[in-house]
Amino acid sequence: MRSTWTTRLAAALLASSVAGAALAAETVKIGVMAPFSGPFARWGTQFRQGIEVWQKQHGSSVNGIPIEVIYRDDEGPNPARARQVAEELILRDKVQYLGGIVFTPNALAIADLITEAKMPTVIFNAATGIITRKSPYFIRVSQTIPQVAAPIGEWAAKNGVKTVVTAVSDYGPGFDGEEYFSKAFKAGGGKVLESIRMPLSTADFSPFFERVLKDKPDALFIFGPGGPPTVGMINTWASRLKPAGIKLLCTAETQQIDLPKIGRAALGVVSAFHYTETVDNPLNKALWADLHQMFGKDAVPDLATVQAYDGMHAIYLAVGKLGARAKADDVIEFMRHLAFDSPRGPMKIDPQTRDVVQNVYLRKVEERNGELVNVNFETLPMRPDPWKEDHPEKK
Amino acid sequence: MPFATVLLDGVSYGMVLFIISVGLTVTMGLMRVVNLAHGAFAMVGGYLAVILVRAGVPFLLAALLAAAAVGVLGAAAELAVYRPLYRKGELAQALMTFGLVFVVIAALTMIFGPEIKPLPVPGFLAGLVDVGLRPYPAYRLFLIALGLALAALLWWTIDGSLYGARLRAAVDNPRMARALGIDVSRLYTLTFAAGCALAGFGGAIGAQLLPLEPFYALRYLVLFLVVVGVGGMGNFRGSFVAALALGVLDTAGKYLLPEAAAYLFYGIVLVLLLWRPNGLLPSRAAT
Repeated sequence: MRSTWTTRLAAALLASSVAGAALAAETVKIGVMAPFSGPFARWGTQFRQGIEVWQKQHGSSVNGIPIEVIYRDDEGPNPARARQVAEELILRDKVQYLGGIVFTPNALAIADLITEAKMPTVIFNAATGIITRKSPYFIRVSQTIPQVAAPIGEWAAKNGVKTVVTAVSDYGPGFDGEEYFSKAFKAGGGKVLESIRMPLSTADFSPFFERVLKDKPDALFIFGPGGPPTVGMINTWASRLKPAGIKLLCTAETQQIDLPKIGRAALGVVSAFHYTETVDNPLNKALWADLHQMFGKDAVPDLATVQAYDGMHAIYLAVGKLGARAKADDVIEFMRHLAFDSPRGPMKIDPQTRDVVQNVYLRKVEERNGELVNVNFETLPMRPDPWKEDHPEKK
Repeated sequence: MPFATVLLDGVSYGMVLFIISVGLTVTMGLMRVVNLAHGAFAMVGGYLAVILVRAGVPFLLAALLAAAAVGVLGAAAELAVYRPLYRKGELAQALMTFGLVFVVIAALTMIFGPEIKPLPVPGFLAGLVDVGLRPYPAYRLFLIALGLALAALLWWTIDGSLYGARLRAAVDNPRMARALGIDVSRLYTLTFAAGCALAGFGGAIGAQLLPLEPFYALRYLVLFLVVVGVGGMGNFRGSFVAALALGVLDTAGKYLLPEAAAYLFYGIVLVLLLWRPNGLLPSRAAT
């Protein structure tokens, strides 16, 4: 009697655990790494908004396979922490995809890990050229800095700017910006009078910009890390260089979300970037509408919002095509041929480099209904990452 | 010509450092409290000014009101948090005040978000003034004038007024001062509050140079500590000289040698401290 009872219980437990495993096996988990606290928390917030808008529009399952997003705080540019977070997501949470990753050092820190674990990893932001070379399991849906810095150099050379001084923050992405802007500008016949690198800790930019004033260039190219340094650079330009007729050239520095901090001094500034908030397409309109509905009237989509939205798009397509338990190599093979429409415009993945190919827009800051916004005036269709051409793979 | 503007830039930058740091000289040098939360008081002043300006209060009045409010906050903090620390060691003081910094950072992030809060200067300061050589930002000239006025006021208060005499007496020998009927505790609270008010004022009027965001309290703390250290603990004239010297040397160095900008500031500090280990103008107690 007793033995029958235990046998029955064991059988029941076994059956339920098998059923549970089968049910769990059908869920696809996506681990999203980003700073959700500290000075860079804006990135995490924007990723989450982009992901939630995507899920509102497309549901939280694909072909009946539930999609679960697990958010983890990597706290900013912190390679050790990034590695730890990625390990936890892979080993403990048993995710099928990694996403997020704002900073280059974090991406580089997890490259070996995802190669070993065969973990398809969709980069929502980190933007130096080299990253996708570091693991065959990286796919990038964001941008590269050379991809957006070169076009503004080309445009300046073609539009009456003969001399430029570059002033960038003294860190990796700043060097990428400086190098590719200068290369494109010189190729167009322009002359770079001086290249200044300013420490990330700089509070007062006036001595650097006073030097720019002395050089008397037609324009100044800047590249900053966002946040206080970027606002400081633009304010200093506006109070000293703009009155002297020196134009400002940049990439992400004038995104709409930051324009209120700069104020009317930003009017007329020309920049090149892959996402302009006013770009006219149905996906972008829907993104704005849903952001407002879900997060209030003050929510403004930014690069991180759109990049996370597109990262989810890529993963949903892969799950839809390959099911819940696809092999990593099949996922990467599928993703490297992806092409789809994004709120930023058309985009695709370059099959060779696994990096994003997309429109780059030249835009100008204007005032519309009392608000400062970027307005596109030229589209450079389907630009690849120039870094890859300059650094061919040695094999 | 560029020499004059670089000099003005350096002096105006130095003035902001002076206005914010002078309160720290008082707490660290005179009252012997390692107050790492000083930047937090400056930041809170800036944020209060942002709220007031948005509510339609004119910029200067907003900065003064913010300074007064931070002074009150400082007095409350002195009574609640700092007073029990006077007799504790420096480690306890550093830990406690550093903890306070994180509390303020978290609170401001929760209320205002991690973004920079712009504090635009009023129209009459936003423009350029012709200083004879070339148009120069009016705001920077205003900072210089304000810094000079405050320095004069402080000099008179500490060296010329009865309050100053009492404060110096209380600092040099608190027991003797008490015996003479000076209420030392109240004097400390008042002085601490005044130092915080100055920090809050500096945080508000210097927001163009040191933008307001929740990590302000940590980002610029080293600058404030350096001014106090280089100037000589407890000597506000030392802070004045140090802030101006650092402002001018750092600015001129960045202008002339941008390649060295990353370590120039610290190089200058190193040389100054090797030359005068107790600061440029050490107080008598420290020598």
